[in-house]
Amino acid sequence: MFDQIDPRSPTPLYDQIADRIRVAVAAGELRPGDPLPSVRRLAGRLRVNPATVVQAYRALEAEGFVEMRQGSGTFVLDIGANRRDAERHDQARDLVRDVLADAARLGLSAQDVLRALRLEIGTEAG
Amino acid sequence: MTNAIEMRGVHHRLGTSFEIRDLTVNVPSGSIYGFLGPNGSGKTTTIRLMLGLLRRGKGSIQVLGRPIPADAARVLARTGYVPERPHLYDSFSIGEAIKYHGAFFRTWDARRAEELRVRFRLDAAARIGRLSKGETGKLMMLLALAQSPDLLVLDEPTDGLDPVVRRDVLTAVLDYVSQRDATVFISSHLVHELERICDWVGVMDDGRLVAEMPMQTFKSGIKRLRVADAPSLVSDTPFVLLAREPGDGLSGGEVWVVRGWQDPMKQYFEGVGARLREVVDLDLEEGFVELLRTFRTPDA
Repeated sequence: MFDQIDPRSPTPLYDQIADRIRVAVAAGELRPGDPLPSVRRLAGRLRVNPATVVQAYRALEAEGFVEMRQGSGTFVLDIGANRRDAERHDQARDLVRDVLADAARLGLSAQDVLRALRLEIGTEAG
Repeated sequence: MTNAIEMRGVHHRLGTSFEIRDLTVNVPSGSIYGFLGPNGSGKTTTIRLMLGLLRRGKGSIQVLGRPIPADAARVLARTGYVPERPHLYDSFSIGEAIKYHGAFFRTWDARRAEELRVRFRLDAAARIGRLSKGETGKLMMLLALAQSPDLLVLDEPTDGLDPVVRRDVLTAVLDYVSQRDATVFISSHLVHELERICDWVGVMDDGRLVAEMPMQTFKSGIKRLRVADAPSLVSDTPFVLLAREPGDGLSGGEVWVVRGWQDPMKQYFEGVGARLREVVDLDLEEGFVELLRTFRTPDA
């Protein structure tokens, strides 16, 4: 789940970690009541500062994704189907923005990207 | 926020050619502070000063709230120090070295020492003089961590170690700080290693501290911009212009290296009739290289 954490990216590490968990919650990969790894374990596994993991968990708690229970760990909350949908929508939108920004750098238009997308998913003949 | 280490206006002359000048360093308590700088920039000298192993000239130094060098002994009792060059007796076995070292510290945690020895796959009977570089590095880290320090000072702790050993050693440090509050001061010229774990950075060059800030500020603030139609003279930029050079020739325009960048500053370019084509993020290593390069060129 955390394989794509990239310390060289300009996106802060805590944000990348929180984002992976947001995606997993929205996709149903993490279900309400599931425990997140302990701060110590996740920091060790990702080789990041434990404070970074705490910061990610706090951000998720503030957004209502998880609950940090003193002494027993951090658990996924039920965010409801509507919010899950909204999250998936947001994640898809962010992905598209990234793609469009990359395309612009390569001198490709939105039309070029759209056409390639349609070809890839098979709604347009090649 | 309190500081675990505070150095103010410290001077120190080493021989005739090198000196530490007006050095001010603040290491927040509980941070993992990465101390970057090229070889010979004064990192080890700074560390020796802060631990009272060298006498400062002017200035003041406080570590863990106590003055250095006056209270150095008490500070060292709470500080795990991994020096650049190990100070171990070759004739000891690993087991003997652990016992010997432990006898100096009231806070010694024999259980942690044993746990780390097993985790690092160190043979208690092996002679120090016959250890590989990697084994010696692991033993040094074990000794520093088993001391249950409030402050860890690591001087190039992974220099010359292979990637597997580096990972083991750093993971042990992270494991330690996730179990208890401690401050870590880690000097390295291996920039990528620090990028993952540090939340503060200080950059040394030629005996001076040229930058000190939260890691994220450092990383997000330095950018490379591709600019077209830039006027030949620029002034009043909202960011610090570190360098300005011709582009790659294909696309024309110029490349600017800036510090203190924020996205709304894009508007500046319209105001001067230029076009901002691209903002390129730099990772810690590139940011570090750009910073030093421009710092060494007074005209930039």
